[in-house]
Amino acid sequence: MTSNFLFSSLLLLPFLAAPIVYMLGRSTARNGNVLGISLTRALTVFFLLVEGCLLYLVVKQALSSGGTYLLIGDEPLVFDGIGLILACVVLFLGLMVTLFSIDYMSNEKGEEKFYALLLATIGSIIGLGMSYDLFNLWLWFEAMAISTYLLVAFYNDEPPSLEAGVKYLVQSAVGSALVMFGIAMMFSQTGSTTLTDLWQMTSSEAPLAKIAGVLLIVGFGVKTALVPLHTWLPDAHSQAPSGISAMLSGVVIEAGLVAMLRAISMFGKVDFNWGAILIGFGCLNILVGNLMALRQTQVKRLLAYSSLAHVGYMLLGFGFGMAFGRFEGAAGGFFHLLTHSMMKGLAFLAAGSLLFTLHLSKQEHVPLTLDDLNGASRKYPVAAFALGLAVLGLGGIPPMAGFMSKWQVLVAGVKAENTLMLIVVIFAALNSILSLGYYAPLVNRMYRHEPSTAVEQGNKMPGLMIIPLVILSIAIVVIGIWPSSVQFLTEQAGLSLLYTFFY
Amino acid sequence: MNLPIPLVVLITILCLAGIGLYCLLITRNLIKVVIALQLIVKGAVLAFILAGNMTGQLNLAQSMALTVIVADTIVAVVGLALAVQIRLKTGSLDIKSLSSLKR
Amino acid sequence: MTPILIALTIGIPWLGAIIVWLMGDRREDLTHWVSILFSIGAAITSVLLLPNASQETALTIPIGGDFGDFTFVADGLGIFLSVIAAVIGSLAVIFSKSYMKGEGSLGRYYAFVLFFIGAMVGLVLSSNLLLIFLFWEITALCSYALISFHNDDPKAVKGGIKALIITSIGGVGLMVGALIVYAYTGSYDINNFLANYSTIPGNILALLAFGFLIAAAAKSAQFPFQTWLPDAMEAPSPISALIHAATMVNAGVYLLARFYPAFKDVPYWSEAVMIVGALSALLAAVMALVSNDLKRVLAYSTVSQLGYMVYAIGTGSVYASQFHLFSHSIFKALLFLSAGAVIHSIGTRNMLEMGGVGKKHPLVKWVFIIGALALAGLPILNGFWSKELILESGLKNGPLWLYIVMVFVAGLTALYTIRCVWLVFFGEPRSDYHAHAIGWEMIAALLPLAGAALVSWLAAGRFSVLLGEKSLPFHAIEPLPYKEMMHEILSLPTLVVMAVITAAILLWVFRKKLEGLINGLKSIRWAAENSFGFEAINNAIVKVTQSTAEALRVTQTGILNWNVFGILASVILLLAILVLGA
Repeated sequence: MTSNFLFSSLLLLPFLAAPIVYMLGRSTARNGNVLGISLTRALTVFFLLVEGCLLYLVVKQALSSGGTYLLIGDEPLVFDGIGLILACVVLFLGLMVTLFSIDYMSNEKGEEKFYALLLATIGSIIGLGMSYDLFNLWLWFEAMAISTYLLVAFYNDEPPSLEAGVKYLVQSAVGSALVMFGIAMMFSQTGSTTLTDLWQMTSSEAPLAKIAGVLLIVGFGVKTALVPLHTWLPDAHSQAPSGISAMLSGVVIEAGLVAMLRAISMFGKVDFNWGAILIGFGCLNILVGNLMALRQTQVKRLLAYSSLAHVGYMLLGFGFGMAFGRFEGAAGGFFHLLTHSMMKGLAFLAAGSLLFTLHLSKQEHVPLTLDDLNGASRKYPVAAFALGLAVLGLGGIPPMAGFMSKWQVLVAGVKAENTLMLIVVIFAALNSILSLGYYAPLVNRMYRHEPSTAVEQGNKMPGLMIIPLVILSIAIVVIGIWPSSVQFLTEQAGLSLLYTFFY
Repeated sequence: MNLPIPLVVLITILCLAGIGLYCLLITRNLIKVVIALQLIVKGAVLAFILAGNMTGQLNLAQSMALTVIVADTIVAVVGLALAVQIRLKTGSLDIKSLSSLKR
Repeated sequence: MTPILIALTIGIPWLGAIIVWLMGDRREDLTHWVSILFSIGAAITSVLLLPNASQETALTIPIGGDFGDFTFVADGLGIFLSVIAAVIGSLAVIFSKSYMKGEGSLGRYYAFVLFFIGAMVGLVLSSNLLLIFLFWEITALCSYALISFHNDDPKAVKGGIKALIITSIGGVGLMVGALIVYAYTGSYDINNFLANYSTIPGNILALLAFGFLIAAAAKSAQFPFQTWLPDAMEAPSPISALIHAATMVNAGVYLLARFYPAFKDVPYWSEAVMIVGALSALLAAVMALVSNDLKRVLAYSTVSQLGYMVYAIGTGSVYASQFHLFSHSIFKALLFLSAGAVIHSIGTRNMLEMGGVGKKHPLVKWVFIIGALALAGLPILNGFWSKELILESGLKNGPLWLYIVMVFVAGLTALYTIRCVWLVFFGEPRSDYHAHAIGWEMIAALLPLAGAALVSWLAAGRFSVLLGEKSLPFHAIEPLPYKEMMHEILSLPTLVVMAVITAAILLWVFRKKLEGLINGLKSIRWAAENSFGFEAINNAIVKVTQSTAEALRVTQTGILNWNVFGILASVILLLAILVLGA
């Protein structure tokens, strides 16, 4: 009973908190009450911390009682390793983003909407990770999508931002319609949408299952930004407020990936094809993401394209897990999910802090270009160092965390003992070096002595903005030197994933 | 002509989805894009009902359909709100003019 | 005791790096002194490790999972290289106090130097392949950061990124090799692999062997990856001395030496190693002969000497390669540091603008000449002994034509060395440069190296014991006692080599009378000045990648209809794949 109470409060709290935060902010903002808006911010942080405590309690409960699940009607919600890692990642990054946004969003109108929607996004991703039912999964997924539509188009006076919002909305909606068709097909074949029921299905009983699988992969793939479906991503990532870019790149696309893995879990046993599709998309994503990023001139757009490449590495890991049953691949995929969320989150936050001090705080809504970064280290040493650390980590340079997670993914590829997979591994490693072709010049720019005019005229960086940058930088280096510090998360998630594939 | 009802529904679903997707591919008006999305989703709602009918789980299918309608309405509302804002800020609803973000 | 010393030798410089980074430029003098203090600390602990050499795993940090246990072993081979890294590192830091006086971003400079010293020590002392790769990449990162230290200079930025990317491409070979070792033997441990390498299927072992060869060639700037090292000369001179002459570039040779026992039976591997070494030695020596940039001449000569070491491993004489590595580190660091002193003093790197520097700085002239004679391989300096040892081994175990090439290269080496010394220190000044004073820190760093270049060969007996008896059990290092070495070197082939070297020197002396011959070799000169086309290949690869990337950007149309089309197309494509695949 208590376990169920804790678990349901874990799922419900963000959705209860969102309207509270919104109404408090709304009622005070109208009167121009500074105290009220500060309270709104504080309340957001408070709710996230409470959510973290709840998560801890649920984990403790699950460990003592041997598993936690909840049945709403016929639809089960199960607290497993995948849900745990996703919840941890989203809460940690969400907290960092909230801290960061306190100054970043302080000049914007409708600040309270931002926090409310952020809470709703976090809540829906936590729920998504624990859903064991296709339809339920779709519902959490849609909730996450709707709250992020509004966040992407948050600057609703800026045409580019609206444009990005519309593209994101339309493509996601098409994807979600495809998912619905896929679910309906599955449902028509088995009479159930619960994963445990679907696992019993065999291909002879369900001739439509293959088509449904394709629709599910493509439908969720839109949010995951698989390569031909990725076109919304650079626009949305570059136009959203930087905190939201961090969330989108750090957890939202990964949540889409997790949803996809859940949705196609019944194909794990069927045959080899499905894992190969993931690996194929992974290679395509890595190549296209890196090549597209190579010639970008806007920092946030560059980082957005590099997200494509990193989703590719995760896909490789999960693909090795699915096609060859390699535990290293599944765990490595989740490890890369975790480290990528931190590194890309840090990169976007650091770029955002520079964007804020150089442009936004002067009410200029212009993108941060690479040229603006010249000599940033003289005036903003922490932000420049954090950005440098993050992008070099993304490029797979030790001692940052990205090196270790890529390593684990590639271990799985070699352990598959398959010549083709060996080529894939070499391909992925070479691409990692291609990515240095755009990361390294970016770092060089920041350590020039001649500052750009934007840097010379930049404002002072608010102190609170620096805190999340420092925390994330330390976390990246610590995980990079001591990868087993997060192993309890990644290994549980890997086990859970292989369980859903091969139960 | 005496077509069985499930077949009629299936044809309707395919038509709705097909028209919606075709519309998304060619239309340049943002409002029409939202309408096209609605068409596709309505097809999906029918697909849920059909699936429920085929497997004898009609009540489950109905509850799913209702949920889909609710969620989808929210999407439509957000889409239209964005369209309104775009019309206000740029003076146009044409998709072609909404292509400042590229490359 | 050993575990603590290992931890200290890596930890002291890294701690120093963090402190120095945080100190920044606030108090310049203090930054210099703190860095010197930490680098000397590392040097002392590394020297203290020397008597503790053993084959046992000294330090294990359990990590588990797919990362193995991080293990360190202080065996002879590793300790010897870590001493070189830490001691020459501290000399380079002392030298920097004078060389970098008044420069900005000193915190960043010293932080990366110290970070590098720690990583290099870690690289040679760890016995876990993952850890080796990790340190391998950290050294590449430091090298990149220090080459492009002057970020405002586009040449420096380009050189740094080039070094990073080429060494990382080689790193892929090491990475794949390490992954294969883990996948097939279940552990990253070097010893375990060397004991069980025969259980790995032949073709996979061949992939592994050639992967490591690629990694070593890229790191040690060997053919066909040699192009990054000359461009790395944009780094401050102490960095060139430390990273690009004495330590990091040796990592490739170290890797080959470590794994030689496992790979020696792989078909064509030894031959490939010998050819890579010989080609690098030859091409680089020719390029050194025509270059007019003092630091680039030294860089080419580094490539050439590393070629000797790689060739030595190919012939099976791991000991000779490590002995030459030892000598080379000393005399090349000496040459680079004294070249740095000259460049710092007169403000140009172009040898055609120098001339007569010896009159202004007689001390620098003499130490440079000591280094140059060692490089040329003249008795009785340290370069002579080690180079002869390599050539002996080449004559015994390698094909004759490669031996002849290597002897010819020995002649070329003498020729470009004497040309370099002459152009810089003798004759009349060829431009109206102003010679600045040289700080005492520079002298303090140069004198010990000059002394070592004269007498380090006397330590050959000890060195042989250290490497031969105290290295990991599966190593093919034959200890070579002192007397045997003397006996082997003082023989007829050595006289042949001496004759070639003398001929080269005579060639330089009578260069005026041989102009006809020199003009006849114009085409070779032209090819060498264009780095035998390798630079063009590099540029072509970069250009193709860039234009592909630019062309691909068209796919991001920004028009919603096309975006939706992408979704539909991928549905259809996937369905087609499924239908065809089923």
